Amino acid sequence: MTTTAAARPMSAEEKKVIFASSLGTVFEWYDFYLYGSLAAIIAKQFFSGLDPSAAYIFALLAFAAGFLVRPFGAIVFGRLGDMIGRKYTFLVTILIMGSATFVVGLLPNYASIGLAAPVILVILRMLQGLALGGEYGGAATYVAEHSPQGKRGAYTSWIQTTATLGLFLSLMVILGTRLAIGEAAFADWGWRVPFLLSIILLGVSVWIRLSMNESPAFQKMKAEGKTSKAPLTESFGQWKNLKVVILALLGLTAGQAVVWYTGQFYALFFLSTIAKVDGVTANLLIAAALVIGTPFFILFGVLSDKIGRKPIIMAGCLLAAASYFTVFPMLMNYANPALAKAQATIPVAVTADPASCSFQGSPIAREIDFTSSCDQAKRVLAQNFIPYINKVGPTGSVASISIGTASFASLNAVVNDKGNGFTADSAKAIAEFKKTVLDAAKANGLTAKADDKAMNKGMIMVILVYLVILVTMVYGPIAAMLVEMFPTRIRYTSMSLPYHIGNGWFGGLLPTTAFAMVAATGDIYYGLWYPVIVALGTFLIGMFFIKETKDVDIFAND
Amino acid sequence: MWKIFIGFVVFAGAGLFLIFKGGDKVDMSGEKHGTEQHAPAPSPSASAVK
Repeated sequence: MTTTAAARPMSAEEKKVIFASSLGTVFEWYDFYLYGSLAAIIAKQFFSGLDPSAAYIFALLAFAAGFLVRPFGAIVFGRLGDMIGRKYTFLVTILIMGSATFVVGLLPNYASIGLAAPVILVILRMLQGLALGGEYGGAATYVAEHSPQGKRGAYTSWIQTTATLGLFLSLMVILGTRLAIGEAAFADWGWRVPFLLSIILLGVSVWIRLSMNESPAFQKMKAEGKTSKAPLTESFGQWKNLKVVILALLGLTAGQAVVWYTGQFYALFFLSTIAKVDGVTANLLIAAALVIGTPFFILFGVLSDKIGRKPIIMAGCLLAAASYFTVFPMLMNYANPALAKAQATIPVAVTADPASCSFQGSPIAREIDFTSSCDQAKRVLAQNFIPYINKVGPTGSVASISIGTASFASLNAVVNDKGNGFTADSAKAIAEFKKTVLDAAKANGLTAKADDKAMNKGMIMVILVYLVILVTMVYGPIAAMLVEMFPTRIRYTSMSLPYHIGNGWFGGLLPTTAFAMVAATGDIYYGLWYPVIVALGTFLIGMFFIKETKDVDIFAND
Repeated sequence: MWKIFIGFVVFAGAGLFLIFKGGDKVDMSGEKHGTEQHAPAPSPSASAVK
């Protein structure tokens, strides 16, 4: 079954396999960025008429769609892929994913059909999440099982480049539509266009996938009657396989996910929110870094076929853990030197009874969940990313903020009788307190926007490209490595779950966790401990417990 | 390979041009998970899951 690593160019059939597989992940990314850019409009169209309690339930459901449904989809479609074949599972996932995206473009809004609108939207998001859980594992498995021995790293690395393609495709469609029809029409109906246009991508994907053959490894296994009858039991019910799944999660995908999220999403967040660089410049810098960095996915994929997957992924994790605390302060200095100077010279402190301070990082928390004077003091500083130190105040005392030599007493908030907001007096007092604090912070330069003339864009680009290259080191070889860790009969199931838990939970929770750590400590760099610890943990577990796989014959045990 | 490279550069160039034209109107941090619908903290928790 094994094809040798002949020094030959990629065949037309192999190119088609990669193209067909990657189209699904382009779709996945297109959708991912669409929901980012259009979040405010979607909220207005579908959720604005809900009362706070209903909105809260929908928020929980939407949160679940991202964090719970995808791993569940990995199990559902992984099982199907190992039982009935890669090709048909692959077709089902893209049909569900693509149709759900398209239907959002047709869905009447809350003003037209009331509560049914957000209910259907959330169901569509759930379906998308479910299908998405089976998409990446299918793409990686399908490409790897068509690749010659010794070229799996190179071939599967193409799948990772689709993240950049999906981003640019979504930006081009959204901004193109906006520029073509104007802002008012876009907010009214034009936002539907990017969803509706996805039908083209779906049509092409289905057409190409229908013309593809089943993976040769699966065909052989099926012909010999060796397919798994119970992939879930085999993958997760037998310790020898479950152990590998856990190692793949902790020793590979967890670190890969945090390095990826930090290098792309946290870097953007840091630049635009913490360093206060304007939106256009921050987006341009990140997009340009992605453009420069994208070929490195292939480079590291190819390199992993020669020197191994493990050294590259582990080096990426180690470099990330060792350098984040150096490069992010550098990013601040080059992006907004005036703010960096103010942060270094103006002391800011919150003095509070620690017992009155609550955890601020819950992704589903509401403003009314923070009522103590400590919470109010920390929120105004944390939400504006003004670094501060914590001082212990007497038990039961009202918290205060000091900025330089000035001091401001905080206040306890009062929730109204309905429990859906603060009382009018309390809301007014909170607004006044926030204004007073922010005025003082502004006078001391602690909220200074980045000055375009003072910005060292060259050095910012160097740092951002470095961060993206770390992403490509951990991501380029990951598909090949995951595929090679499991036998054909349970490959789809076994590799999909650690990938989605790693990226969904370890990666997806990074922004929330990092914010919680920043809010709790007042240190704007403290959130970096999260990716540093996870990346270091992955490095250590990977180094000691993960075996190199590049020379593994993935058909040997079929 | 070179055709793919040129295609990618052209595609990326068009994308960068559009960001230059209206890049403050897009959010590249990926899909949101609903927290913004009930006035939460303006935290990066709204960011992506993948």
